[in-house]
Amino acid sequence: MLLEANDITMAFDGFLAVSGATFEVAEGEIVGLIGPNGAGKSTFFNCLAGDLTPTAGRVTFDTVDVTRATPEMHARSGIARTFQVPATFADLTVLENVMVGAFLRHSNAAIARRAARQVLALTGLADKAERRAGNLGTPGRKRLELARAMATEPRLILLDEALAGLNPAEIQRAIELVRAIHRTGVTLVIVEHIMDVILTLANRVVVFNQGHVIAQGAPRDVVNDPVVIDAYLGHSHARRSREGGIV
Amino acid sequence: MILLQVIVGGLLIGAVYALFSSGLTLVWGMMNVINFAHGEFVMLGMYVAFWAFTLVGAGPLSFTALAAILLFILGIVVYMALIRHVIRGPMLAQILATFGLLLLLRYAAFWAFSANFVTLPEGLVGPGFNLGGILLSAPKLLAGIVALALTIGMHVLLTRTAVGSQILAVAEDRDAAMLMGIRPDRMQAIAWGLAGASAGIAGALIATFFPISPTVGESLALIAFVVVTLGGFGSVPGAMIAGLVIGLIESLSAYYFGPVYQDVFVYGLFVVVLWVRPHGLMGKA
Amino acid sequence: MFRGRAIGWSALTIALLGFPLVFTGAYYEQLAALVILSAIAASAWNLIGGYAGQVSVGHAVFFGAGAYMPLLFYKLWGVSPILGFPAGIAVGVIIAVGIGVPTFRLSGHYFSMATIAVAELIRILVGNWDFLGASIGLMGPPTARGWWDLVFRSSVPYYYIFLSVLAILLAITRWMERSRFGYYLRAIRANERAARSLGVPVSRYKLLALMVSAGFTSLAGSLYAAKFGFVDPNSGLAILVSVNMVIMAALGGAGRLLGPLLGATILVPLQTTMNSIFGGGGTGLTYVFYGGIILLIARFEPGGLIQMSERIRARVRARAAGAEADAGGAHAA
Repeated sequence: MLLEANDITMAFDGFLAVSGATFEVAEGEIVGLIGPNGAGKSTFFNCLAGDLTPTAGRVTFDTVDVTRATPEMHARSGIARTFQVPATFADLTVLENVMVGAFLRHSNAAIARRAARQVLALTGLADKAERRAGNLGTPGRKRLELARAMATEPRLILLDEALAGLNPAEIQRAIELVRAIHRTGVTLVIVEHIMDVILTLANRVVVFNQGHVIAQGAPRDVVNDPVVIDAYLGHSHARRSREGGIV
Repeated sequence: MILLQVIVGGLLIGAVYALFSSGLTLVWGMMNVINFAHGEFVMLGMYVAFWAFTLVGAGPLSFTALAAILLFILGIVVYMALIRHVIRGPMLAQILATFGLLLLLRYAAFWAFSANFVTLPEGLVGPGFNLGGILLSAPKLLAGIVALALTIGMHVLLTRTAVGSQILAVAEDRDAAMLMGIRPDRMQAIAWGLAGASAGIAGALIATFFPISPTVGESLALIAFVVVTLGGFGSVPGAMIAGLVIGLIESLSAYYFGPVYQDVFVYGLFVVVLWVRPHGLMGKA
Repeated sequence: MFRGRAIGWSALTIALLGFPLVFTGAYYEQLAALVILSAIAASAWNLIGGYAGQVSVGHAVFFGAGAYMPLLFYKLWGVSPILGFPAGIAVGVIIAVGIGVPTFRLSGHYFSMATIAVAELIRILVGNWDFLGASIGLMGPPTARGWWDLVFRSSVPYYYIFLSVLAILLAITRWMERSRFGYYLRAIRANERAARSLGVPVSRYKLLALMVSAGFTSLAGSLYAAKFGFVDPNSGLAILVSVNMVIMAALGGAGRLLGPLLGATILVPLQTTMNSIFGGGGTGLTYVFYGGIILLIARFEPGGLIQMSERIRARVRARAAGAEADAGGAHAA
């Protein structure tokens, strides 16, 4: 197991956002993390990413305990993450943005620049290298988010709703990019609301509700699981599904 | 006995500190903006009191109300003309904005009123009196009580009125508030107005017993910073408690070590709080 | 494009080196020295305030540390003030660590508030400490016992000393700009949270930048003490000293190599002129004016004059390209 989260609990002033969540990711997988709004996914995600320290539980990355590790330490260990709202370095160029990521592994500027250019080529941003990052549109920024994360040469990338706000054509291109990244050997955990994306990309889906995992398995199975449908849509739909089969 | 007097005096001035600091912490909590010119708002409140009295003989009640109104307006103007435009920008612009305002207001006052300090006459509010052996100065007593009442009032306004809850909603989650039909811009402007008004009232109250000069803003702003840091980012109740604590510490250190070092104690406390518990007593981390 | 750059740099270097030879006379020489000295302090501030985006409004404390130590050394042991320079830098850096360590792990506002609080704290303490001259201050050697006392009649030697220090500081800044350190600082300024997620050790880099900034600001203070032979809490530690550094860097362009020098070149002569026109009462007016400038910068062009000129040039270029395209289109049609 590359990433393991055991019995994670996150309490805010007595309110349990996440309670007893257990989750694991094997190297090379693409795992989708889904769940209704308010289910605690984002909080859990932030615990995995090092933004939050869980109140209880353990997070292990490649047998190393990273429960209390800071985001910087996460990056160093090989866990990268993207932000739902792209946290672009607006005043830097696209190339410079990616170089910041590359500098994690290469302290020399010329080498970092070369590495960054390779990532730009992989992610289809090469022609925009000298553009001011703040001038990119949303799809460009999301692409840049990924490129920057890739530049840190991670083993695992946590994607936070990387495809939200894209039109269908852009989504297709984004799916291609994610696949390309996966082919280079990076493990992926994708938080997403768009079902099509999850069904297309993920080889395993984990469903979150009310602070913990309620179901997991192959995408098709999970989507038809009455427990999952109940979580999203309520009891009546679940009953209908049990009676009628595929919803 | 003297000690008791020192303590009471400290609490009274502390209440005033709490009043003007609550405005600062409200704005900070709401928009993540520290108004470096906050001390100047208090200073202007002091001058409003002085000129209202000198020019038209206004009494404490009138000039305090006037200070409240004028500084409320100033707060809104500053928000609309300046703050609103820099919130979404780089931090440098935000800090420069209120810092530039500090210079503008302080040195405009310097130029208009000269560096000399002026005072309101001593007996304006009433004579001092003896309460069970403690000598209380009437202006300080009035200032402390009014300040305490108004700070509590601010807290009640925020937590129990419609407008107040709208302001808090914007502070909590701007986008969610918008979805609920609240206009964040308007609420933020009102918050700035409240901050201005509370600073103005505090200034008018202080003016009844403290010398007025263009540079008073400097030390008052720093006291406000200490109070909001100690009380916790965004917490008005925190500012209330912290204000009283700071007033007390200032008073006690003046008593034991002399007035010169009271500032040193307050700033020193600030540094200590930053090292030890930067999120203050009641701040949301 | 490269040639244009090289010409620009050569022109600047020649202008700076040759200035006192062309504009002679005590007035211009003094002014020039003051411009360069201010540029050193403002460029030092620029490292933490401009590049790293951590706005210090209390940098006077470092300047003051640098100004007091050499004169203190002279007062205590009668030695050349130069011996006090390293001590000034050391004190400045220690204070920087004291401010930076607790505040850099928090959001930017705490740092800014702390800088103002510590600067004021130290100003009050120094102003009441007889050992450091209290409100009267300290004085340096009245006449030169040798070149090492750094007491010169004319401002010209000072000008070249200051220029050398500025050149070194700018060279270091330039090197930093192109290195990992510079990229990390700019990332921190742009978006701290994202920087963290990319492995940038945010607090450590902020602290390093502050330490270097403090060191050079102290050096500027020492040079000031050397030239004027005098420092007191007002000239060395007052809030206006901090303001000057901030406004010069911000006006020229915070986070740009030559921004502070540009700002100093504009503001120092301006301030001197305003002082002579309005006299002492002008102090108030000058700072009203400064406040106004800072407000305008914050509101309309936080990147200062350099960014403004870049924006204008880009617009002109875009319009020219548009005009060309129209002309070309007309032909094609």
